[in-house]
Parts: sequence; structure tokens; C-alpha cells
Amino acid sequence: MAKKLNNQGSKRNNISQKLSVIFELIKSILYVEDFNELLNKITKEAARAFNANICILRLVEGDRLPVKASFGIPNIEYISEELAVSIGEGVAGRTFELGQTTIFKCSDDFDYCSALSKHMELHTAICTPLIIGNRIIGTFGLYNKIAEEGGIITFSEDDKVVLEGFASIAAVVIDKSMLFERLGKKEKEAVEAVKSIGDLRELLEGVVENSADAIVTTDLEGRVTSWNKGAEKIYGFTKEEVIGRFMPFIPDILIETERGYLELLKNGQTIKDIETIRITKDGRIIDVNLTLSPVKDAAGNIIATSGISRDISEKKRIERELRNRNEELSRLYFISSAMRGTLELDKLLRMILAAVTMGEGFGFNRAILFLLDEDRNTLRIAMGVGPSSLEEASDIWLRLWKEGKTLSVLTEEIDRNLFQKDSLIEGLCCDAELQLESNSILARVFREKMPINVTDINAFSESQTLFVKQLGSNAYALVPLIAKDRVIGVLWVDNLFTGKKIENSDIDFLRNFTDHMASAVENARLFEKVTTTEKEMENIFESISDLLYYNSPDYTIKRINKAVTEKIGKPAQDIIGKKCYKIFHGLDQPFVKCPHHKTLKTGKPFIEEVEDPNLGGTFLVSSSPIFDQKGSLLGTIHIARDISELKKLREKLNASERMATLGEMAAKVAHEIRNPLLSIGGFAKRLEKHSSGDLKEYAKIIVDETRRLESVLSDILIFVKSGHIEKKKVYINDVIDSISTLLVPELESKGNVLTKEIEPDIFIWGDSYRLKEVFINLISNANQATDFGIISLKVYRDRHAFNSSLASNKEITDEQIVIEISDNGCGIKQEDIGRIFDPFFTTRAMGTGLGLSITKRIIEEHGGRIEVASVWSEGTVFKIYLPIKEDK
Amino acid sequence: MKILVVDDEKNILKLYKAELEDENYTVITANSGAEALEIFSKEPPDLVTLDILMPDMDGIHVLRLMKEKNPHIPIIMLTAYDYRDDFSVWVADAYVVKSSDLTNLKDTIKQLLAKSKL
Repeated sequence: MAKKLNNQGSKRNNISQKLSVIFELIKSILYVEDFNELLNKITKEAARAFNANICILRLVEGDRLPVKASFGIPNIEYISEELAVSIGEGVAGRTFELGQTTIFKCSDDFDYCSALSKHMELHTAICTPLIIGNRIIGTFGLYNKIAEEGGIITFSEDDKVVLEGFASIAAVVIDKSMLFERLGKKEKEAVEAVKSIGDLRELLEGVVENSADAIVTTDLEGRVTSWNKGAEKIYGFTKEEVIGRFMPFIPDILIETERGYLELLKNGQTIKDIETIRITKDGRIIDVNLTLSPVKDAAGNIIATSGISRDISEKKRIERELRNRNEELSRLYFISSAMRGTLELDKLLRMILAAVTMGEGFGFNRAILFLLDEDRNTLRIAMGVGPSSLEEASDIWLRLWKEGKTLSVLTEEIDRNLFQKDSLIEGLCCDAELQLESNSILARVFREKMPINVTDINAFSESQTLFVKQLGSNAYALVPLIAKDRVIGVLWVDNLFTGKKIENSDIDFLRNFTDHMASAVENARLFEKVTTTEKEMENIFESISDLLYYNSPDYTIKRINKAVTEKIGKPAQDIIGKKCYKIFHGLDQPFVKCPHHKTLKTGKPFIEEVEDPNLGGTFLVSSSPIFDQKGSLLGTIHIARDISELKKLREKLNASERMATLGEMAAKVAHEIRNPLLSIGGFAKRLEKHSSGDLKEYAKIIVDETRRLESVLSDILIFVKSGHIEKKKVYINDVIDSISTLLVPELESKGNVLTKEIEPDIFIWGDSYRLKEVFINLISNANQATDFGIISLKVYRDRHAFNSSLASNKEITDEQIVIEISDNGCGIKQEDIGRIFDPFFTTRAMGTGLGLSITKRIIEEHGGRIEVASVWSEGTVFKIYLPIKEDK
Repeated sequence: MKILVVDDEKNILKLYKAELEDENYTVITANSGAEALEIFSKEPPDLVTLDILMPDMDGIHVLRLMKEKNPHIPIIMLTAYDYRDDFSVWVADAYVVKSSDLTNLKDTIKQLLAKSKL
């Protein structure tokens, strides 16, 4: 370049002018410190010095030439990106490629002017590379040179020389500036980095120091190397006391564990969130949550440990409390379910009181349960637990609960072990009942359904009831037992022995419990009632003398009463489960006559008379269906009453009614017949008397037949006559004596002998006239049936027949006498035996058939009975039983 | 001896009259209670036989009226059947069941007349 300047130095004026331009230019940029400002200044000053419209400075970056500074381009900040060119492209690219200053005339070199000419009108240009040594760092271009006289002209060769001179210096300045710029940036970064590290460190130290957690670092042997305030606060040791020592807050039992942790840390492991215990300077054990990490040096070697521990004692305490509470609740739940499952009232009450007094439960010293007696409208002491069983109670509850006993075992144990003494209650008997209308505090709790906590009986005169005085209590609480909105009792508790104050919260807790318990008590009471009723029903069921039994719909006997076992003659277990038709009727299929059959078919009750020889009589059987709540048939209940006797009585009644009607008629008829008969017979007798021969015989026949008719009439009239018997003391001996002679001719006519065995002094209360008839009838009958035989008459007392409790050594009044009349005559045919007492039944040609009917009636009117036993062709025995006792 | 026989049946009166006259009694007959009472007061008999069942006035009523007038005259009640129990409250001297066999009646009359003579 120096050579060029020399070459053109001949034109002195020009040269000095050019140098002055360069000098001005350089001067203007030398003192610009800011790099960007420097570049802008260069472009601005150059444009002015060269009278150019536009000036662009580019610095090479890779193969691109972005615009770094410019002058004379409006809105350069928006288009600067667009103006960047590649090497070889445009004015600058071409210049960079050529490596020398080039002058352009845009009309000739259009290709190179295109980039900028999109935005501005370009006519001429000059561009020079910025060269340092053999390195081109950029380009410097000027556009549209303005002539002194105006108009745009092409850059001259002079311009070229001046520009190259300026560019060579500017390149150096720019280059140095760039270097300086870079260094400055680095230094600044370094300073800032140092500063921010300091801040961080300060922050970290603050965090560490002020952390509530204990942050402790140790060396690999466990000696403390740092100790923050948190550690001091948690463990109680000061920094001076611990630094350099093996961690003093590790309890002895955990030292080995801690050494284990150290080994893990040495291997680079982190121990996270373990819960363990630590010991403080004053010896307290605290729960901590711990995280241990290894500390590495810059080279990554583990050189220390850091531990962060947090005091979680409070959390642990709450947890433990929760657990205890939970346990307590489950225990109460256990008790309460045991109670709800207990239907025996007595046992239940004991359980409740146990829960109230046991240490793990409510822990009251004493408890008394008053229950409502609805019949008397009073509160009565149902049960109480005193201090004698307090320890025992809590121990047993706890043990049973822990052992997970079944409820049945539990209740047994309670029965065995708890409450053997109720000494508390013993002294209270006089006050055991309390009227609900009274002003007593108990009655008030009952009425108002609210608990009362009497903290001091002296402050509350109403609270000093007799029973409280007897208990010697100074403070107590009363809680109502409410089941389904109804108060069923009151629970009284106190803490006489521990003197522990009863808090309102205790009462609230107790109330929750008692509300549950009240339902259980109510259930148990209901159950008790049901049980009692059931027992009563059972007793009634058993004591009913009718046969009572319950069948399932398939005819299986499910339940029977005693009368059934007695009737069937088998034990209950041989009857229950069998088919009813088999047991009662001896059949293999249902007995169709039984109302049971109909009841099963129709679901309706039926009552019917059932006659079954298998049962030995006639039964009135009622059969009623039993339904469940859904209306399906569960079974049938049967009541069978033996009405055999009733039926006989009824038949008798019917007969006697018939007879009474018949008698009335017969009496009228008889009277009407008797008079004509009397006339016939009477006059015939007169005829007989006054006639002779055949006529006399005929008249006699009339007389005899009339007499026979009259005899029939008499018998009929006696039979139908319904008169009462006048009873007097009758000696049987006298009666027999009075008839004996009367019968002699009759007996002799058939060659029979009458033998008599009569106990002396036998009497009955009866009608001698009628009894005479009985003897005459029976002896006559015997006589009729016997020829040349023996008719025997026996009369004796039967001392065992009436098994009376009154039978004593006093006058024998409950006995009966037996009259036996037997013969060895022809006897009675078996088929006739059942009919011989029927009226008008006779086997004799001349009999009226009324004799035995009359006899039987007379005997029955005397309260006795007659039996007959006979063997055809061997003889007959009539036995008459008559009560001795006077019938009032 | 005069016997008043009371019965509503004429045939019976005829029979009794004949039979008793055979026994040498004087027999007066009455076929109703009213007639019998009239005779009883006008010409008192030594004995009366009285049928119980009579249509206008029954024998029991007649018996009572006669006994009120004169209790010393024996009265035999004649009954169709054994009314003994029913008569216990009455005051007849004897009860005899009406029968074509008059033996029992005659015996009773004899006994009562013998008794009343004493």
C-alpha cells in the first residue's frame, strides 16, 4: 500500500487531502470503547468522508457476511438479516471473494447490487475487504457517491486508494476491539460467577444453620464435623459439646446399627426416611425421621456423611394415641357386640357394669344400674359393681379381649370370674326402689332424659339422696339409658377411690355407650319377657289335659304335651318326628275322618268328632292352621278331647228326654187303659166267681190276661216315671230281709236256693222302696234263668274303690258298697249282653223288658253303677256299686 | 159301715159297689169330686176311696177339702200307678194302685176301718 501511496504522491494536493480524510476518520474512531458504537461510527464517518449515501460494514462469520453496522439504510434493524450475503454473492460477497477493493456501477454489475437494491435505489458502489495479515475479517462498502455539483457519480480511483488506506487501519481497530470485547465479557462472567457462588453458599449456610431439622455431618468414623442449630435444639447438645465426638445422640442399643449405616454410606448408598429413636442430652428418648447421605469431594471420593433428622416424637405420640384410642374403641366395640349378643338380662347387666368400671373401658370406680319397673312405675336397682371387683374386672376384660375368645366362652368366664360379690348393693336394699314422681335427682334424670354430673354434693343439696349417703360418695354422675327415645333406666357412676374428677367429656363418651347398651338391655328385657311368656305357655301347654300336638304340614308330629305321651303310652322321643296318623290311628296314610286332613287342604280350622277304636273312644278334635308372616302354612295345631264319657252322657240324656216324652204319653195312655182293664178284670173275676164249668174257666182266662196287661202297664209307668228319690239312711240288711220271704215261693217253684253273705251294718243313703225293687228284679231274673241252682247274694264294702284322700280312720264315707247277685243258670248270650239294660229288651216270652232298665235307672239315681258278666250256659253275675257317702 | 167310692168311671163304680157290698159294706158312689164333697158333708161315710185322676176336680184337691172338713174319716187314694213318692206331702191314709185284683183294696179298707174303730 505504501508503494501505491508513493506512486500517486506526485499530486501533492490530492494526497494530503486523502491523508487528512483518513486521519480524520481514524481519529474519530480511536476513542470509541464500545465495539458496536465503534462500528457505527466507522460507517457514519466513512459515508461523510466519501460523500456516499450509504455505508455497510460486514464481518465474516463462517461463509456468511452479516451486516454489523450501516449508515444511510432506513429501518436497518428490520432488514439487516435480509442483507446478510454469502461469500461471492452481492457487492460484499464479490469483494470478499476477490480479496481486493472493487468499484461497481450498478447498471453494469447488476447481479452484485441486487441484495440492497430491493430496498433502495443503487447506482454506484465501492467495497473493500477488511484485511489483517492474510486474514479477511469482513467487508466495508460505500454506495451512491454524490458529486459536488449534485447527482450520483461513480467512485473514483482516488476514492479507492483512500478507502483501502482507511480500511487497513479500521480492520486492525475492529479486530483489536473484537478481541477486547470478548475478553471483557469473560471477565464479567467470571466476576458474576464468583459473586453468585458466594450468594448460594450464604443461602445454603443459612438454610443449614437455621433449619428446624437437625443437620449433622460426620466423618467416616462417625465423629461430628458440623452441627446446626436444629440439631442443638432437638438433641440439646451445643456445637462445642459434639464436634469431634462420636455422635452422642445415638442410644447404646443402636450404635451397632449406626455403624452399619456408616458402612452403607461409605459404599455410596443413601439411607432415606428411616424412623428410629435418638437420645437427647437430658436422656429423653425421641422419635426421629432420618435421611443419611454420603458427602463426596470434587474428585468424587466419599469423605464424610451428612444426616438430616426430624423430631417426630409428637407425630409418634399422636399416632400412638390414635392407636390406643383405636384399640380402646375396638375393645369397647368388642364389649358392646358381646353385649348386643347377650340376651340374658342378668349377664348383660353385669357386662355393662364391667365395661363401665374396667380400667381399659370407662374406668369408673363404682357403678349402679337402675332399671325402670313399668308395673310399679319405679326405678329399681338392677345391679351394682363395687371396688372389690374393679381390678379383676379390667384384667379379665383385657385378657379376654386379647385372647380373642368367642362370645359364649367370654360370657361363661364373666359368670365365673366377675362379680362374685355384690357388696355394694347389700347396703342399699332399703332404697332399692324409687318412685318416678319423686323429687329425687335420679327421677329427674329419668324424666329429663339428661345426664347430671354432680361434682360436689355439698354444692347441690338435691344430690344428697339417701342412697348416695349410704354409698359415701362425694361426687357422682347419672346418665339415662335411652332406648328408642324411651328412658329405661339410669346409670350411676362415681370415682370414690381414685377421686378422679368426672369430666363432662367422660359423660359424653359414657352416653354414647349407654345409648347402645340401652337397646341391648331393652332387647334383653323383651327377651326375658318372651322367655317368661314362653315358659308360661309351655306350662299351660303341658298341663292341658286334652291331647295337644303340633304337626308340620307333612303330618309329622313336632310337639306334644304330656297328655299325649300319657295317652299314647310312649315317651315323647318315640312320638315326635313320627307321622300323626301312625301314632294316633295306627295307619300308614292320613286318616281321612280327621279334621287335620281338611285343615291341610283348605287352610281353615275344623272341629270334628272322631271315633277311633285305636284311641279307645270318641274324641273331639280341633285342627287349626298356623301361618308364618308371609301367610304360608307352617303347620297345624290339634286339640283332641276324649269325649267318650260325654258322648255316653249325652246319649243317656237323649234317651231320658225321649223317655220323659214317652212317659208322659204312656201315663195318659195307661190311665185310659187302666180303668177299662180294671172293669174288665174286675167283672171277669165276678163272672168267674159266679159261674161254673167252661164259663168259669173262660172268665179266669180273662182275669189272668187282664192282670198281665195291668202288670205291663205298671212296669211301663214305673219306668217312665221321673220322680226324685228320697234318700234316707238305709241298712241293706233290712231291705234284703223285707224281700226274702216275699221271694221264697218264687224260688221254690224253680227249685233254687238263695245264699246270702252280707257284711253287717252296711248302710247307704238311698230309697229302700226302690232298692227293694232292684233286689226283687235281679233275684227274680236270676231265678228265671236258673233251674235247681244256687242264687248267691253278696254285699260288702269296697274300701279301695274310691281312692279318696279323705279316707281316714274316721267314719267311712267315701267308700262304696258292692252288691253281687250271681246264679249258675243259663247265662246271657254274648250278643245280647250289650242290650240287656235297654228298655223293652227281653228274651223271655212273658217279660216286659223293663225290669233291668228300671234297675239300672234306680242304681244310677243312687249315684252307682251296675255291671254284668255272663257266660252262656254257665251263669251270670250282676255287680252293683253304690256310694256310701250321702249325696248332697 | 158306709163307704163312699169316688170315681168318674161308672163301670168302676159299679164294680166297686158290687164287690164291696159282697163284703157287707154300705156303698155310696159319687162320679165327680163335687158330688163326693156334697155327700161327704151331708151324710159322712166311715171311709172314702178316691180316684186321683178325675176330670172336673182332681182327687188330690178333693182329698184336701175332705180332710179339712173331717180329718178323722180315713181316705184311700186309688192311683193308676205307684204315686207313692208324690203323695208324701199329702195326707191320705193309704194309697192303693188301681187293679182288677181288689184284694189289696179290700185288705186296706179292712185295716183302716179296724184302726178307726179304736
